[in-house]
This record gives sequence, C-alpha cells and structure tokens, in this order.
Amino acid sequence: MSDIFRRIQYLLNRRRLDEELAGDMEFHREMAERGGRRNFGDTLRLREDAREAWGWMWIDRLGQDLRYAVRVLRNAPGFTLAAVLMLALGIGVNVAAFGFFNLIVLKPLPVRDPDTLLRFKRSAPERYAYALPYQEMAFVRSHTKTLSAVLALNTARLTMEGKEGPASVHFVTTNFFSELGAAPKFGRLLDEARDEAPDAPLVAVLSHGFWRGQFGSDPAVVGRTIRLNGRLLSIVGVAAEEFSGLSMDKPDLWAPLVQQPQIVTGSHLLTDLKEGAGVRTWGRMQPGVTPQGVEQELRYIIADFRQQHPAEIWEKESLASQPGGYAKSLMIGDRSGTGTEQPDKLYPLAVLIGSLVFLILAAACSNLGGLLLARGVSREREISIRTAIGAGTGRLIRQLFTESVVLGLLGSAAGLALGCLVLKLMMVWTGAPDWLDPTPDWPVTAFATGIGFVSAILFGLAPAIQVARQRHRSTFSKQLLIGAQVAASCVLLIVAGLLIRALDHALSASPGFEYEKAIAVMPGLGSHGYTPEQSRAYVDALKDRMRELPGVASVSATATPPLAGSNVMVVGVTIDGRHLDVHWNRVDPGFLETMKIPIRAGRTLTSSDTAGILISESLARKSWPNENPLGKHFLSGEDPTGAQVPYTVIGITRDARMDALEDPDSVDAYMLPGKDDLTKMAVVVRMSGSLESIVPAVSSIARSIDPRVHPRVQTLKGAFQQKMEGIERGTAAAAVLGASALLLACLGIVGLVAYAVSRKMKEIGIRMALGARPGHILSLVLMQFSRPVAAGLIVGVGGAAALSDLLRRQLFGISPLDPVAYVAATALFIATVVLAALIPARRALRVNPTTALRCD
Amino acid sequence: MPKKEMPAGALVLLILRVLHSGPVHGYAIAQKIYMLSAEVLHVEEGSLYPALQKILLKGWATSEWGLSETNRKVRFYSLTPAGRQQLETELADYSRVAEAIQSVLKTA
Repeated sequence: MSDIFRRIQYLLNRRRLDEELAGDMEFHREMAERGGRRNFGDTLRLREDAREAWGWMWIDRLGQDLRYAVRVLRNAPGFTLAAVLMLALGIGVNVAAFGFFNLIVLKPLPVRDPDTLLRFKRSAPERYAYALPYQEMAFVRSHTKTLSAVLALNTARLTMEGKEGPASVHFVTTNFFSELGAAPKFGRLLDEARDEAPDAPLVAVLSHGFWRGQFGSDPAVVGRTIRLNGRLLSIVGVAAEEFSGLSMDKPDLWAPLVQQPQIVTGSHLLTDLKEGAGVRTWGRMQPGVTPQGVEQELRYIIADFRQQHPAEIWEKESLASQPGGYAKSLMIGDRSGTGTEQPDKLYPLAVLIGSLVFLILAAACSNLGGLLLARGVSREREISIRTAIGAGTGRLIRQLFTESVVLGLLGSAAGLALGCLVLKLMMVWTGAPDWLDPTPDWPVTAFATGIGFVSAILFGLAPAIQVARQRHRSTFSKQLLIGAQVAASCVLLIVAGLLIRALDHALSASPGFEYEKAIAVMPGLGSHGYTPEQSRAYVDALKDRMRELPGVASVSATATPPLAGSNVMVVGVTIDGRHLDVHWNRVDPGFLETMKIPIRAGRTLTSSDTAGILISESLARKSWPNENPLGKHFLSGEDPTGAQVPYTVIGITRDARMDALEDPDSVDAYMLPGKDDLTKMAVVVRMSGSLESIVPAVSSIARSIDPRVHPRVQTLKGAFQQKMEGIERGTAAAAVLGASALLLACLGIVGLVAYAVSRKMKEIGIRMALGARPGHILSLVLMQFSRPVAAGLIVGVGGAAALSDLLRRQLFGISPLDPVAYVAATALFIATVVLAALIPARRALRVNPTTALRCD
Repeated sequence: MPKKEMPAGALVLLILRVLHSGPVHGYAIAQKIYMLSAEVLHVEEGSLYPALQKILLKGWATSEWGLSETNRKVRFYSLTPAGRQQLETELADYSRVAEAIQSVLKTA
C-alpha cells in the first residue's frame, strides 16, 4: 500500500525527482572521472534504467508514441482526413442508434427520483390492460403501505372554444406535479388541498407549448378563463418547458382528474369499473421497498377489491409493475387485450437496426484496414530505419497501433458530433416532445469513445502487426479485408433494396378497401358523456344527414375507423396451440359495402346477426387451414343487448388491412357493435364526387345535431399517407445506410486499386513494352480483386438472407428473399465498384514503359 | 580488472549496510563498497542508481539535500526504521544461506 503511495508521490513530483537523480548521477560521473575512470554508458539510458524502478515509464512511452502519432498523421493530412471521415460515418450511425436507445430505454425521464417510479398494468392469465379503472387505482392508493404516492392520468380530446380542432387534455391526480418535481413557469400547478374538494372551482394548467401557441406567450394568462366542452375553467398556471408529464404526446393542458365528470358531462370515468375505461397509473416506491415487494402487497389489495367487485375485477388479477421513469414505459399508452401479451414488437426492429449500423462500422473499418496496409508500403523505409536503430517488433506494433487509436479517437469525436446531429434532426423530423433531449450525456459519450477504441482494434491491430513485421505485402490479409468490406456493403445494399421495394409495393398496393375517396367522421361521443342510446341516435342522425349530401355514395358506421389508429382492438386467440392476433372491428351492416370489401363466401352481416361474425380470408386460412370455416364458432363477445354470446362465422371477406398495414396478412374480424361500442362509433363516408366539399359540410351538420360536439374529420387517404410516412422514414434511413456503404466501398476500392497499380508499375511496363493490349493490363490489375469481391458478394448475399427473419416484420407484402432486390443490389454494387476501380486503373494504361522500368 | 557482476539482491544488502553507518551520497556508497571490499567489488552507476531507486520506493531509505566534500549540492541517503528492519532480515537470511553453503562445501 505504501509502495503505491510512494509511487504516486513520485509521479506527482516526477520532473523534480528526475532532475535530482540526473544531478546525482552527474556528480557521480565527475567524481569517478577525477578518480581516473572513464568508459561510462549512455547517460540517458542509465537514467531511464534507474527510473524504471518507479514503474511509470509506460506513461513516458505512451506520451512519446502519442506525440509521434500526431506528427505522422499531421504529415499525411489527406490520409488522416479520409480516415476520420470514414470513421465519423461508421461511428456516427452507431452513435445515433445508441443515442436513440439511450433516450428511450436508458435515460431516466426528467422528473424527480425517476428510479422509484413504477408503472402498473392489470394482468391476469388471460388478459391485460394498461389502464386501471379509476376506483381500482383509488382503492390501491388508500390501502398501499409500500407506495408513498399513486399518480394517475387520463387523456381526452375535448372541444375548446377559440381553438381549431380538439384540445388534448390530460386529467391527472392533483399530486401529479408535486410528485414529479415540476415547477410552474407562471402561477401554480395543481394542488391537493385546493383542487381536490368536490366544490373546488374548475381549473387548468397550460403546457408551455400550448401557452406559446394559443396564448402568444402572454405572461398575464394566469387568472383568465377558457371554455372546454362548454364549461368554464380558470387558468391557474403554466408548466415549465422541460416538464415531460409522463406521456409521449404533447398535451395542451392538464386538469384535475376528479373534475373530469364535471367537464365531460355524463362521464362515468370515476365510477365505471368496466374494462376499457380507466386511468394510466404510476406509484412511487417507499424507500427500501423493491418492485417485487410492491407487487406482492398489491396482489392482496386487489384480491380484497375483487371481493367487493367480483364481476369487474378479473380472476387472479394482479398489478404488474415496470420501471416507470423511462420513455419506454410511456410508449405503451393504453393498450389492452386478451391472451398473453405479445412480446415486445420493438425488439426485432432494434436488432435489425443494430446489425445494420454495425455493418456500416465494419465496412468502414475493413476499408481503413486496407488503407493502412497499403500505407505500410510507403512506410517501409521508416520502419526499417527504426528496426535498424533497435526498435523491437513489439515497440513498432505499439507505435503503429497508437496511431490507429489516435485515428479512432478523432473518429469518435467526429462521429459523436455527427451522430447527435442526426439524432437531433430525427427528433425534429418526427415531432418528438421537447424533453427528449438528444444532447450527448455520459453513456453516449462513453459509447462513442468505446466504439472508437473497438474500431481502432478492428481496423488497426492486424495491419500494425503486419506492417511492423514487414509482411504487409502478403495478399491474404488484404483480400480478407476487401472481402469483409464487400460482404458488409452488400448486406446493407440488399436490405436497403428490400425496404425500398417494400415501400414501393406498399405505396402502389391497395390495403384491400376503398380509401382514396372516403372520410371518417369521429365525433368522440364518449368524451361528451353520451349514453349508448343517445350515441345511437346521434350516429343515425349524422348518417341520415350525410346521405342527403350531394356526391355521397355510401355511409356507414364503425367503432374502429380504418387507418385512424384509434380504438384499435386486438384480440389474442389460441387456435390449436398457435397464437393469433385478430383485429376486431365493430361495424354497421353496411360497412363492408361502404368500404368496398367484397364477400368471398357466405353472406354479409344484417342487423339481426347479433351473434354473427365475418372473418377475412387470411384469418380463415390461419384458423381452419383445410376446413370450411362457415358455421364454425369463433370467439365470443358482447352482443347489442349487452349479453355474452359465442360468435358464428357467417361469411368470409376479402383481405383488407384496416389498420396494421405492416402485417403481412389481414387478420380482421367484423361483427355488430356491442352496447359499449356505441359511444365510440365513427361514421365513414364514401364519395363519388370530390372530397373537399364535404369536410366543411360535416362540421356544420355535426353542429346542428349537437353544438357541443366537434367531430374529428379525416380523409382516409390522408391517414394512409400518414401511416406510410413512418415506413418512408425507415426506408429513407435504410437508403442512406445503403448509400453510405456504397460510398465507403468505392473509396476503399479506389484506394486499393491505386495502390495495386503503383505496385505493379514495373510489370505493367514490361508487358506494355512486349505489346500487351490495354484490356490485358486492366484485367491484370483488376483480376486480383475478383476473388475477394466474389467471396464477399457470396457472404453478403448469405448474410442478407440470414437477416430475413428480422426483416420479415418490416416488409410489406414482399418476400425477404425478393430476387429483384438481391439482383438489383448486387448488380448496382458490382457496377459501382468496377466504375470506381477504373478511375485509378486508367493510370496503368498511361504508363510509359521506359519510366516504368526504372521504377523499383 | 575483470568486472565482478554482483547478484542483484546482494547489492541492496551492501547498500543498506553502508547506509547503516550514517547518511551518504550515491558516489560515496560506491566508493565505500569498493574500498571495503579491498577493491574487488566495483559498483557501476548503472546498477547503483536503479538499486537506490528501489530502496527509496520500498521506503527503506529517504533522501535529503546536503553538501558534498567538494561543496556541491547532492542528495544524501539515510536509512529509515523500515530499512534497518530490512537490513536485519537480509543479514539473517544471508548468514543462514552462507552457512548452509559453507557446510555443503566442507562436507560434500
């Protein structure tokens, strides 16, 4: 221990102590000379030997190596710039991908103590839901001992006077802001004492963005009133800009959850125990409590609650927890379903992106490795001089590798900047909330630095060993590097090709129903307190009035308007041990006719088919592969009278992807709406004339039926294009990756061919002197690349095929082995690389035989 | 004069022994060993100073400034309590090994 202490002390006073030692030795020498002795060794060497005892020599040597490396790289600015750019590209895409992962999964939300937040979902063996009935949440809140606080959130889109389109309102428990450590920008936030009482006045807290957009950043906004669903609310404060609010969407304002029924007249949110209604719930753990401990306690509490409400609370229900302080937990929203929950759908996508960005890095590294080997030739003289004056192989390898590490770290810095810029642009492009801040934090910086080191090892170590041993002329390692680079680039190009093909297919293919001339009118009756009976009357009135409009071909109603992404009901079924996700759609009898989805077998729904179900062809094939599905029983559910009935298949429809365009098969089922679905109904209209005329007409019709209701109107074409946007972004990203790979491959090939030409000058000269034709010379230069390129292509095609399982989910209606994509990508690659190779190869043809012969 | 290579351990033992009689500078250590060994053991600069650094590192000696006989500022090395301890241990070890070698030489 004290040894280490003395060593450190030495290190701190190294300069002084070294000088003292030198003084001692000089004195020693003087005295010895007086005594008539000579024949001393090299002073510096002797001093170094003496200092060795302290064990700090490696720092000196590292310093020397670094200084030398910097000098060498500065003397070759072209090479250094090219290398850093390649690395910046390779590292940058990795940093962007990791930065995104960090933002969503690793980085805690900007709230107080994110680590002690838990998000809860209802979980039973046969079903799950991410929203809890309000009463269940309240019961947990009043009985828990392991949680110090329970927070809840319910989102709604309400009509606000003076605002175009609905306002996004988040109803939250009054402890929401204080528990999350939020500070107001103006006024105050919600407060338990003032806002929880039954007679408390209606209040709202504005989000920063809404305050800026709707109120022009008016600092005197506090105390003003707004009219929401016809009720007056007074603005008590504005939240700070960085407040995340436990949601991925950007709410316009927050209001107390207990005031929800007063604002949404007739709402039963606080009393309704039915599934579907409910609040997202978080809990704050007491100090020293584990999530397992919380779950254990909640199991007993829920069991007690079930005693009071045996019909609504599920058998064997528990509240499963997951870390609630991370963006990932916010992405789930309000999903619910039956059967076991599908494993995370993001996982294969993450693996796919991870493999693609790593391939870019691999391409950049093998490229750079090739350049370093080629550079070894021009450094032969330097290496042999250094060997001659006594540098060992180990020392040389270390020196050469240090150069690579310096390059790697420069690449890290450039890659970090590039990656974070890309991430930032991505955030702006996708309209992510402001608090998702892509500024690099320490995990991202550490990742960038680490990957710089890893790439230094990948591209630098083998060439350093080869060059130090003067074996860099060996063709094998060079061919290996070319092969690796071709393989990586090839996989990237094929994947990009597949995604582009898939996008093209998706854009040209029909989702299986008429969407180009249709609109969906979503009145959102539930959030205006409509009962099922009132809803039916409203929807019928709306339909009748719409039919009277000129240019309307057909009108119908559905609980899940196609492509709108709202109210999507996914029901998990197990048939013969296979898991199937069925998209469950509650519709009017005329829905299929309005959407132009033909019936393939059986018959369509009539208003008396309370227990009838229509299923799509794909679903029929998956459920009963070799049987006639007509007349079979399929699932069960609530019929229009509210009773549970087993459904009987009465018809098979053509495939139509009502919502999930990315699913390879349409797994849709249609039945009449149950009692509870009526408040969610939307009206779909197919036009024969133009769409533009109808949108304003819809608004005035809706207002004439009930002035409170401002329906959301969406053209299905717009919704379709919106869905396609996500796919387009993914495809654009893949295309950029593919192009980067191609660019890297070209740069590498140009460098290597130029090198090959310069090595073969003499041979080319002789051949030309003997009358060789240009074609021969070209093939002499290029043929040496043919084998590694061919091998790389084979490996690349195989690699792309191996990724096909991951790709399957991202491709829309095309096979992951789509031959067009493979052939096109490979051909593009070969053509580009050959063209790139020809640029330096032309030099070979211009060689003057007499000059060439004089070359060494 | 043929160069006598000294075993590394022995040099440290000799230095510690020289320091035992009081603070000395580096050159004086070499001189003393040379004189006391009847001009047999010649300690080179190249082995003396590394050995001294090791002794400093181990904390067996400390160094401080002093004036040499030629009035030059040089470092004087002096034994620490730990160094004294080490000297005793090494002396004991040495005698045991020397005796053992002697006994083998006499009887074998």
